[in-house]
Amino acid sequence: MTRRLIVEPRGLASARLRILVPVLSVLAALVVGGLFLAITGENPLDVYGKMLDAAFGSANGVSNTLISATPLILTGVAAALAFKMLVWNIGGEGQFIMGAVFASGIAIWLGPGAPSWVAIPAVIVAGGVGGAVWASVAAVPRVYLGTNEIITTLMLNFIALSFMNFLIFGSSSPWRDPAVSTFPSGRPIPDTAKLPEFFKRLDIGIFIAIALAVAAWWLIGKTRWGFAVRVVGDSAATARYAGIRVSKKILVVFLLSGAAAGFAGALYVAGPVGALDPRSLDLGLGFTGIIVAALAGLHLLAVIPIAILMGALNNAGPALQSIGVPAATVTMLQGAILIFAVAGEFFIRHRIRLPRREPVSVEMPDGVEPA
Amino acid sequence: MNESQLILTMVAAVGLGTPLIFATVGEIITERAGILNLGVQGMMLIGAVTGFWATFQTGNLEFGVVIAMVCASALSAVHAFTSITLRVNQIVSGLALALFGSGLASFLGRAGSEPLVGHPSRAQFEPILTGGIADIPIVGPLLFGHDPLVYLSWLVAGAASYYLFRTKMGLSLRAVGEDPASAEAAGVHVSKVRYVHVLIGGALAGLGGAYFSLALTPTWQDDPIGAAGWIAIALVILASWRPWRAVFAAYLFGAAERIQFTLQTLGEPWSDIPSTLLAMLPFILAIVAMIVLTSGKRARFLGAPAALGIPYFREQR
Repeated sequence: MTRRLIVEPRGLASARLRILVPVLSVLAALVVGGLFLAITGENPLDVYGKMLDAAFGSANGVSNTLISATPLILTGVAAALAFKMLVWNIGGEGQFIMGAVFASGIAIWLGPGAPSWVAIPAVIVAGGVGGAVWASVAAVPRVYLGTNEIITTLMLNFIALSFMNFLIFGSSSPWRDPAVSTFPSGRPIPDTAKLPEFFKRLDIGIFIAIALAVAAWWLIGKTRWGFAVRVVGDSAATARYAGIRVSKKILVVFLLSGAAAGFAGALYVAGPVGALDPRSLDLGLGFTGIIVAALAGLHLLAVIPIAILMGALNNAGPALQSIGVPAATVTMLQGAILIFAVAGEFFIRHRIRLPRREPVSVEMPDGVEPA
Repeated sequence: MNESQLILTMVAAVGLGTPLIFATVGEIITERAGILNLGVQGMMLIGAVTGFWATFQTGNLEFGVVIAMVCASALSAVHAFTSITLRVNQIVSGLALALFGSGLASFLGRAGSEPLVGHPSRAQFEPILTGGIADIPIVGPLLFGHDPLVYLSWLVAGAASYYLFRTKMGLSLRAVGEDPASAEAAGVHVSKVRYVHVLIGGALAGLGGAYFSLALTPTWQDDPIGAAGWIAIALVILASWRPWRAVFAAYLFGAAERIQFTLQTLGEPWSDIPSTLLAMLPFILAIVAMIVLTSGKRARFLGAPAALGIPYFREQR
């Protein structure tokens, strides 16, 4: 009889393991990506070297990496907040877009006359409201009718994208730039509504994103309300026994999750993009947020460094294209990272060991294995 | 709308609905085994690119279809491993598959010294059963003159329906999706059944993807399937996990996708409706149908497999 590996659930995983799993996930994804690169005739090491250089090799590279990371911190927070509560909000993409729509809308409505200390907070708040409103379209049916939110949030992504396209390509809405008639594009928001830049093109949005992530961590981890939320996430039945109003908690967290993605849209519009521009906003940043959250183990502070890593990857795409390697290499790597991170969950949840001694062998009838 | 435009819309809906039938029936089979695979979009794209590539190399359509099914099935094996063997979260694993598949398909279409992107297919599926019978009013163009894969999709839906509800293996499959512990007690190998049906689901998604690149739009482009893989996941619920209903649900969505082109041909005021708004129609339809079908007491009669998405721990029976 061979010695069988014993797989058993473990309680709390060590901090070392929690860091080891994401690191190994990234390395394993690089190996898989390297195989595909090698098959198609590229030298993986050259490609990865180029990516590293594009992301961190120069002041411009670092600045661009942090610009890309800014929205990912918040879409990562959006996914982590919801997933902690077993609310499967896959709609970060749509909530991000609606945040951008609301934020650019308020900036254009306020016009250049409003001072920055009014315009910038208004833009950010509007973004959060836009994201929360869009999340509510899925959250309210989920909480009051039991409608599966996976499908509704997914579908809402495509509706939001079409709506943004309608505002720019399909109508003469206030969002569309009237000065450009040949090819439709978004109307630039007033300079007073734009976030000040401080390092190359990097704006203060990165600090706002980090502050909001810390606030979310504090709210969930350090407050009485957050404790109740965590109880609901662990076991809805326990929460009900404890007198916690479960459906209200789920609704609020769902809306906060939407708001976080909406903030990301606002910071992206008021930061690097400067207009409601479908070509710059349809980048899958909401989906990448799910990768960020999963790789961070749904930890609201771990989201920050992981977002910077993913931002670096996103930022490397155009650099690859310039040397004739498809930019989709980045999406492929990100998908592979997520696959390995999910698989790694197994090792966080379970312990695998070899039995120390030969187990007492019991004669079993054919085909029946000892439990 | 006059009669001929109605017929044209319906014929176009059959074309646009066919890949959705394959993918939806595949996902129904997977979900009936209790495994939720949200990676349909990724599997379809892998099917689309590998099928196109294989036909591009050999000029052989059937070979392309087989390669598409094998490759998409291989991708679904990743999800089978994580969700059945490692028993991790199926939702995140499926999303990972969707992202990886999309990225890899786009990468393969653009990589190498002579990338596929922009090339027309070397062969494409042509209409069959044309001529006399296709000229019968109304019924003719709806039933005849389609490409062979349209008829294959009806066959697949019929076969899946028979398999699920009329065979012993189908019964075991449904038992595994409803109550794996009881199924195992009755002598069914739960993990094996789940693996097999995740792989079948992957193969059918790959076939659906190949329909885009070898029949519907036989040129390789970066984003050849739109949101078909995501819509297929919604269609599973609208079809209430029954293959035959998936056929009608898929055609309904095909028609919703087609309506923007139909309205263009009708002249004012219909042609004034912006296509960007009409593009929302299938997704709004899905949300409304979801809310109506799954809310309150109706949900119980819908027929969702009871163990869908729940990992099965043999040791903790």
